[in-house]
Amino acid sequence: MTRPDTVLREVARVLWGPSLVVAFGLIVKGYAEVGDGFAAGVVVALVVGLFYVALGAEGAERALPFLRFAPKLAVGGLVLSLIDGFFPLLLGEPPFTHHPGPGEHVVTIGALELFTPLLFDIGVFLLVLGVLTVLLHQLADPDSEAGDPFPDGEGRR
Amino acid sequence: MTLLAVTLLVPWAAGALLVVLDGRRRVVAWLGVAALAATLVLLAVLTVRVVVSGPQQLVTGGWPPGIGIVLRADALGDAFALVSVLVLLTAAAHEAVAGPRARTFPGLLVLLAAGLTGLFLTADLFNFYVFFEISMTASYALTAYGGATRQLRAAMVFAAVNLLGSIIFLMSVAGTYHITGALGMDDVAARMPAVGANAGLLVAVGFFVAFSVKLGLFPFHFWLPTVYAGSRPAVAAVLSGAVANIGGYGLLRFGGGLFPQQLQLAAGALVVLGAASIVYGAVLATSRGDTAETLAYSAIGQVGYVLVALGVGGPVGFTAAVLYTLVNALNKGLLFLATELRGRLVAAAFVIGALSVAGVPPAVGFLGKLELFRTAVTDGGVVLVVLLVLGSALSLLYMFQTYQRTFWRDRQPGGGPATALPGRLIVAALGVVVLALGLWPEPLLALSERAADVLTGGHA
Amino acid sequence: MTLAFAVAAAVLFGAGAYLLLDRDLLRVVGGIALISQAAAVTLIGVSLSRGRAPIDPDPSRPVSDPVPQALVLTALVIGLATLALLLALVHRVVVVVRTARREELAAQEAEHSETLETDQQRDRDEAA
Repeated sequence: MTRPDTVLREVARVLWGPSLVVAFGLIVKGYAEVGDGFAAGVVVALVVGLFYVALGAEGAERALPFLRFAPKLAVGGLVLSLIDGFFPLLLGEPPFTHHPGPGEHVVTIGALELFTPLLFDIGVFLLVLGVLTVLLHQLADPDSEAGDPFPDGEGRR
Repeated sequence: MTLLAVTLLVPWAAGALLVVLDGRRRVVAWLGVAALAATLVLLAVLTVRVVVSGPQQLVTGGWPPGIGIVLRADALGDAFALVSVLVLLTAAAHEAVAGPRARTFPGLLVLLAAGLTGLFLTADLFNFYVFFEISMTASYALTAYGGATRQLRAAMVFAAVNLLGSIIFLMSVAGTYHITGALGMDDVAARMPAVGANAGLLVAVGFFVAFSVKLGLFPFHFWLPTVYAGSRPAVAAVLSGAVANIGGYGLLRFGGGLFPQQLQLAAGALVVLGAASIVYGAVLATSRGDTAETLAYSAIGQVGYVLVALGVGGPVGFTAAVLYTLVNALNKGLLFLATELRGRLVAAAFVIGALSVAGVPPAVGFLGKLELFRTAVTDGGVVLVVLLVLGSALSLLYMFQTYQRTFWRDRQPGGGPATALPGRLIVAALGVVVLALGLWPEPLLALSERAADVLTGGHA
Repeated sequence: MTLAFAVAAAVLFGAGAYLLLDRDLLRVVGGIALISQAAAVTLIGVSLSRGRAPIDPDPSRPVSDPVPQALVLTALVIGLATLALLLALVHRVVVVVRTARREELAAQEAEHSETLETDQQRDRDEAA
């Protein structure tokens, strides 16, 4: 393991906050311009990747404690998206119906409308972030149990 | 409508939750089996409702059908979904009894079921593509189950080849949108006759190549023996009994429903390719020494029959194609699962599977072969019938060669000491299903005819 | 404009196909990634249209078509997922087999064939 590069570490730390802002911006502007939850998730995952490269698996998870819970984050995002998509069934409507519907009044913060697809996008953001973090963890630290889907394979026939 | 949405939701929710849990624990593995059983029950109820009151449809978001994504359950999609989830259920139970070796195995199987049900129950081209990719990604991960070198190599080959097939499929979907301006299957079918012949043929060939790679038809079969023989038996059963159905369904739905003119134009070529596949698969299967490889080449041969039926076309041809694909999925699932076990019960189940592949009554494969011969006799000509007979004779030969090698070794009945009873019971149950469908074929035959009506009756 | 897209897609596909036939597994994965990008570029190039954004259409002016853009975006997402899976697979191969070269994987297959040979010889001895 080569000596961790100071510039890389500092750049990673400095980029973390702005990446979250850019991700939030992509989700917010995504309803009128280019952007969505997937792109936001990838942007944040890029900086997380930089953390893994600069600090290694242990260091990255010490610096950003939530990375330890990445699988649960991913599944939480997926479940959020599923709930958001299928809850209209309880109201007797087809899945993925917008609430409030098209043409109805909706609460807005500036240009951002607060309606159910926003939850779907946040769910997708969490899912993408979680999945890419799991992959990065697996590539960075292959011997640990947490990231290994096949913990007992060792060239066994 | 709610039933259709719930049928799609159950495997998604269950799969998402199962992936976080540790699948090597018995509880989690059996939870996966329970989720698949629930999906199967829902699909059965849905099929009954479709048969009684016609196709069920819903459009997501309440938008009009051209804008929203149309999800439809009709006889064709339901039949395929039922058989695929049944094979998945059997494989999940098989592995749950033995104890899964990977944490994500039950979750992956349930997510594969989610992808497959979404694929079979949609009437929108792009939704089809998305669920196609979901199913394939889950199956790439499943192929590496077991972690040994053979499985990893099988997974790499499978992923690389099928990714290229997926890219061709994507280009064809985009091409369809470009030439017809619509993505819903109904709209595409309505606008296709007005499209120029060359463009339509090009897009149809793209779809044909993508689905042939998936099925393992003759010119695109080279990856199949490595993958089916290298992966674990339960995974091979899933790949040949559930994932390969995507190819069969695609050929039927796209060829019969969306591109009927192009299908008729290429009918001769399809029959020739199918016949080549039959002969190639049967001849090579006879010469293999490994059970899994024999079954893999047998799979190549069996899908050739489906292509021949598709080439002949018409209501009779489509019924035969649907019936044969469903029967083949059950056969392959049974046979691949039985290769790993020993004992007289398993040997009997293997014999039933072997008889079904060869087309001998009372196994259900006899019905498939009967329908196929009927299409060949009415529309095919002498050469085709001779080739079909040759293929069937060879399949009888290699199936019993395999039986002898696996279950008749060293003069021990059943091929050796019997493996644990629950595992044998699962395989025996699937064998009983194959036998029962052969003894009472009416429901399967009626379902196949309904499915073929979807293609020829102007519903698609 | 379409020519630029066509040339870009052709170059990407050619490079991807060349890499796909390489010995090193990582380059094979890189080749697959390039080919899927070539498909995405082709899709965008085929569906280029000039007009107002469809979120605010003007009935008298042409509107640019959003559906192919959605197709390409979905294709890119799927491409990311499959690329991640392939990389994890190659990583697993390297960890387990300690090689990333294609022919060394095949060598393990040859050992399996030898066990088949002994089985067949046993059959022949038994029959004799």
